Amino acid sequence: MTVEQGIEAVDQFPVGMRVLAVDDDHTCLRILETLLHRCQYHVTTTDKAQTALELSRENKNKFDLVISDVDMPDMDGFKLLELVGLEMDLPVIKLSSHSDPKYVMKGVKHGACDYLLKPVRIEELKNIWQHVVRKSKFKKMKSVVTNGESEGNSDQNGVRANRKRKDPLEEEDEEEEEQQERGNEKKPRVIWTREMHNKFLAAVDHVGIKNAVPKKILELMDVDNLTRDNVASHLQKFRLALKKITNEAKQQVNMAAANSHFMQMSSLKGLGGFHHHSPIPLGSSQFHGGAATTRHYPSNRTFAGMFPHVSSSLPRNLHNDGGYMLQGTPFPPLENLHINSNNKAFPSFASQQSSLLVAPSLVLEGHQQSSSPSYSPHLEINKRLEDWSNNIPQSNVHSEPDALGWNMFGNSTNQTYFCRDTDFGSSSAAHADSLQMKQQHENIFSPMTVAQLLRSSSANEGLFMGQQKLEDGFMASDAGSLDDIVNSMMTQEQSSRVLGRRLA
Amino acid sequence: MDAHVAQLQMQYRNYILSLYQQGFLDDQFTELKSLQDDGSPDFVAEVLSLFFDDCVKLVGNMARALDQIGTVDFCQVGANVHQLKGSSSSVGAKRVKGLCINFKELCEAKNYEGCVRCLQQVDIEYKTLKAKLQDMFNLEKQIVQAGGIVPQVDIN
Repeated sequence: MTVEQGIEAVDQFPVGMRVLAVDDDHTCLRILETLLHRCQYHVTTTDKAQTALELSRENKNKFDLVISDVDMPDMDGFKLLELVGLEMDLPVIKLSSHSDPKYVMKGVKHGACDYLLKPVRIEELKNIWQHVVRKSKFKKMKSVVTNGESEGNSDQNGVRANRKRKDPLEEEDEEEEEQQERGNEKKPRVIWTREMHNKFLAAVDHVGIKNAVPKKILELMDVDNLTRDNVASHLQKFRLALKKITNEAKQQVNMAAANSHFMQMSSLKGLGGFHHHSPIPLGSSQFHGGAATTRHYPSNRTFAGMFPHVSSSLPRNLHNDGGYMLQGTPFPPLENLHINSNNKAFPSFASQQSSLLVAPSLVLEGHQQSSSPSYSPHLEINKRLEDWSNNIPQSNVHSEPDALGWNMFGNSTNQTYFCRDTDFGSSSAAHADSLQMKQQHENIFSPMTVAQLLRSSSANEGLFMGQQKLEDGFMASDAGSLDDIVNSMMTQEQSSRVLGRRLA
Repeated sequence: MDAHVAQLQMQYRNYILSLYQQGFLDDQFTELKSLQDDGSPDFVAEVLSLFFDDCVKLVGNMARALDQIGTVDFCQVGANVHQLKGSSSSVGAKRVKGLCINFKELCEAKNYEGCVRCLQQVDIEYKTLKAKLQDMFNLEKQIVQAGGIVPQVDIN
């Protein structure tokens, strides 16, 4: 919990760390509040211990850290410390003007992370975020999923924790931590419904992707029961997927899909039935940390809906990730995917969307602005697909909801990436799944279809990108060799771990 | 006008320095001042007014407790002293804080006379400080009204 809470905006922590400050002395409380603001934390204050307890109970993900005075009239400071620590498992820092070591000892024994003496100086407050990191690391340590990794982590606890916090995209840290975290922390997963995702995209559009911070997005989204952390991890995935799309798009600049391919796109839709679990050992209960996957994304809608979302160059994949996975029914035939009309989240793309849905070919055309790409890549890919399909045993993936199918479009690699969130465990598992997925693909996709996926990025980057990403994602997984896929999945997983972690 | 402003600023500077030299204020007050910025221009005034309100309240509590002749609850008095010590140290009220340290020992020793005396001193001290800081704020206001900027006083 603290880990996720602590990752306010992965690249901004400790800025914005949410602190609950409790002190019955108004003078000190006011000063503390100002000091904390100066450290760029987000502060909530109260002069009553009881209120503090209620506030933190109200939403366990509301705060990252609690700073509390020792002497308070309505409740003993140490008791508050115990309760907060036990119930909410938050790091608590004690504050007091008692410098007597026995008070310090008492604080530590009751579970305080730190004990500060009044008057508090700003230098001391500037480092309190370390407690959030440490605590989350500690929790992860406790819940080791893989043997070796935990040891590795524990050795470098402090360093890695800092590093991780500062750069959540660092793979090595993430992989292990995510695995550990996955196994142990059963956090309620947030399902990013299409509506929510639309709102998310709208919010991101509004503030600009560069300025997108979870807090603002959360405020703009105005969705109940959504925490900053949920938004933060979603944003993280979004950004990563975006990066991936951008990279892939660049790589595929010379590829163009023939119009005919577009028609075949409809068969892609048929993929709906296919769960691209591949990257995501989706079937695995692990995926959702054992929790029922709530990907209730109306499948067909999902897919269709995805396109519109793409407008913000949001990789569809975002919908597929640990906890986000869209599970749903197979995608309906393309014709039925006119759902766009429902996805008005991005009006600007409305027309694109409809074209996308209605006539994939049109969409594709729109996307492709460059010269016709060579098809060789996808031919190769097709071949690979065949190879894979031959090697892929039927998996139980099929039993998976089609949300994956959606994933397939949206970048199997990305999916993997998201799947990782669900604690896949081994890349090989993911890999195997991807193979399965491929196999399924194969049945539905024709080489040309695959080729279609390879498209150069075009102007309508947002929509296109999203779409491209979907397709690319698919292609990406197909395009590469098995190794490539595994690697990309690994990468995604690692990235997604961070995100996964962020998922509340 | 400028000369007037300069004069006021000089007066202000000297006044602040004297407060430090006489032990009314300490480094914590400097810290407090540093937290004041354009975003919170009245931060120091706000905090100090909270502090003085607390003083009134706590001294009142202690006086009441000490009034219960024969059944004085020294723990209660001690708790109030403790709180006053905390807030005075947070605002940089050096003398008040010093008194609180003594006061605490007296409470623990359950020295009634000593406590009463100490309480009287605390009362005088915080009121004196309040008056002095009020003068300081007035000087600031005058400087601003004269078109000048309140100077940052370097204690060291």
